Amino acid sequence: FTEMPTDNFVESSFWNFDALFQPQQHPARDQHDTFFLQDPAEAPELPAGYTAKVKKVHSQGGYGSQGYKYEWRLEEARRNLLRTHTTSASARLLYRLARQEKFSPVKYFSIDRVFRNESLDATHLAEFHQVEGVVADRGLTLGHLMGTLRQFFTKLGITQLRFKPAYNPYTEPSMEVFSYHEGLKKWVEVGNSGIFRP
Amino acid sequence: DEEFNELCFEFGLELDEITSEKDIISKEKGEEKAKGASDTVLYKIDVPANRYDLLCLEGLVRGLQVFKERINLPRYEKIIPAQGEAQRLIITEETVQVRPHAVAAVLRNITFTKERYDSFIDLQEKLHQNICRRRALVAIGTHDLDTISGPFTFTAKAPSEIKFKPLNQSQEYTATQIMELYRTDSHLRHYLHLIENKPLYPVIYDSNGVVLSMPPIINGDHTKISINTRNVFIECTGTDITKAKIVLDIIVTMFSEYCEKPFSVEAAEVVYPNGKTHIYPELAYRKEKVKPELINKKIGISETPTSLAKLLTRMCLKSHVTGNGNNIEIEIPPTRADIIHACDIVEDAAIAYGYNNIQMTIPKTYTIANQLPLNKLTELLRLDLAAAGFTEALTFALCSQEDIADKLGMDISATKAVRIANPKTAEFQVARTTLLPGLLKTIAANRKMPLPLKLFEISDIVVKDPNTDVGARNYRHFCAIYYNKSPGFEIIHGLLDRVMQLLEIPPNEEDGYTIKAAEGSAFFPGRCAEIFAKGRSIGKLGVLHPDVITKFELTMPCSALEISIETFV
Repeated sequence: FTEMPTDNFVESSFWNFDALFQPQQHPARDQHDTFFLQDPAEAPELPAGYTAKVKKVHSQGGYGSQGYKYEWRLEEARRNLLRTHTTSASARLLYRLARQEKFSPVKYFSIDRVFRNESLDATHLAEFHQVEGVVADRGLTLGHLMGTLRQFFTKLGITQLRFKPAYNPYTEPSMEVFSYHEGLKKWVEVGNSGIFRP
Repeated sequence: DEEFNELCFEFGLELDEITSEKDIISKEKGEEKAKGASDTVLYKIDVPANRYDLLCLEGLVRGLQVFKERINLPRYEKIIPAQGEAQRLIITEETVQVRPHAVAAVLRNITFTKERYDSFIDLQEKLHQNICRRRALVAIGTHDLDTISGPFTFTAKAPSEIKFKPLNQSQEYTATQIMELYRTDSHLRHYLHLIENKPLYPVIYDSNGVVLSMPPIINGDHTKISINTRNVFIECTGTDITKAKIVLDIIVTMFSEYCEKPFSVEAAEVVYPNGKTHIYPELAYRKEKVKPELINKKIGISETPTSLAKLLTRMCLKSHVTGNGNNIEIEIPPTRADIIHACDIVEDAAIAYGYNNIQMTIPKTYTIANQLPLNKLTELLRLDLAAAGFTEALTFALCSQEDIADKLGMDISATKAVRIANPKTAEFQVARTTLLPGLLKTIAANRKMPLPLKLFEISDIVVKDPNTDVGARNYRHFCAIYYNKSPGFEIIHGLLDRVMQLLEIPPNEEDGYTIKAAEGSAFFPGRCAEIFAKGRSIGKLGVLHPDVITKFELTMPCSALEISIETFV
């Protein structure tokens, strides 16, 4: 797996949410969960052609999807924030991959800081690190995803795994990965995953 | 309990907690208050955010029973009353400014019990919180149809012209008075702002001038529903028509179970200002065709088209095989508004098959692995700095404004810092532009440790940059501080020399590094130097100014070094 460049904490709503098919009215885009920026408040530059495509898919559908059918607003996408997940870096990279002349399969990873507007307590911090992995190739299946995750967790010493259906705006199918914690004697969530929506 | 947990897990629900009313009160208020509360076991279930049909007990049970193949998915029917007999909701043009869209339907001859009534009210609340975005997008109003008579008018009027008795109140109020009345209500005050400052407030009347509701705030008391209500008129008003339709569909499909003719909904007619009419609820059944190979391929299984169709039917997506057995036609019911692409169908097939039954394989993708050069350099430096006797610290990237400006003797505007609009506490107002405050705060928290304290950190700082596409960028900085009874300038200087040695940068002016005496607001005058590498300034080192040391609640001398390592990548 190759390391992704993730050295931008400041991200625009476009890359953090819109390009990942997270609707503009989604609760995660609320003041309560995201750190929005006062200065710089808006991203001056967004990729023009791509932005138009994203707008269309949200409001009318496309690529086989019905879309969300709401009015997509550019100002909302321009709003700057501190990224809430490193998936925004994956989105940028996939965009770059898409513009390559010839498709080449890739495997990317990153481990970096993300920010969520939460009150601090024993299990929550406002800034924490995420490990992210992306595989892009032809003919990938859910079974492949499960296999890759199993190998990854085995290397961390976690061997008892179960997968549960979940929901992310940008992946379908999505799975939450659970592992049995000997100390707590119960299954705890150790990760989230999915296949990106077409 | 175990069985239910398993079932939830397979289906995609999370069984959060198994408790009882008694337990809940016990935990919150103590055992005494809990005496007399019910012991019945309560399940707290977490439902995925896109499954509005599972938000009430009726929908949840229905979904699980179809999953377990105990019942067939009911068919929701729309009954269109004979010409002229349908209930009509007339929208006037004044609503365009404040709440343009409305949809309506009728549940005829419904039988409520206490549980069903509670569930009905509960579902409306949940939908309000969820898809309606706290009533901003859609607001639901349910009324006892026998207390009013159509046609109904949805219009907008000046607040002083609207007067009615709100739900559970004993007298009439004007709209302006209602705003004041609910300003302190813990539940309703959050919705006042949605219409408060508009010149006209939305209001729904019946043909006799009785107020049904003033969305999104409150319904009228006159039309309130009780356990004895037999006919319900439902209206959803809002700013997003798609969501209003989905909300209406969910409510009627869930509770039409209790109508005399189960799963049948009486349609209502909505008349628009331009005279056009539309029948609601839509209760649209959509058909999609998906190839079985696609489903098998995407999941990594190989099931026959017939068994795939069966799996999908279990997920409330009635399917059958068509063509020569090489296509599956799926009917998407109005309860599954979350199915918007073939991949949603694929996911449902996988859930029905059982995620944990899928064989795990490794993708055959051949790639060469690479580490990002910047991170590789950081990792190498980290090891050697630790070897030099310094301890690594990992600090927060967000800090207060004073931390990067006032406490370091600088003005905030000179820092080009990125500012946060909605910090929860003062500790997270800006993104750091220097690693120094973080390290100093770490020392302040560890004063009891034996001296000398030698800390370092290699991490990102954030500054505004008009040249990037978002307006800010990260720089990788390296910062080290030495805290002891004597400042230890020579130790910090030595560390710099060691780092340069590791980076193979010679100590000369042309193509290496030098240091020149300089001024720094955070540093002691005469004990500060600027570091140049390859002709560019990369940072400063020196003895920290006593003011800085005191502002961070420290008492001993301290010397520090901070440079950007981006140029060395």
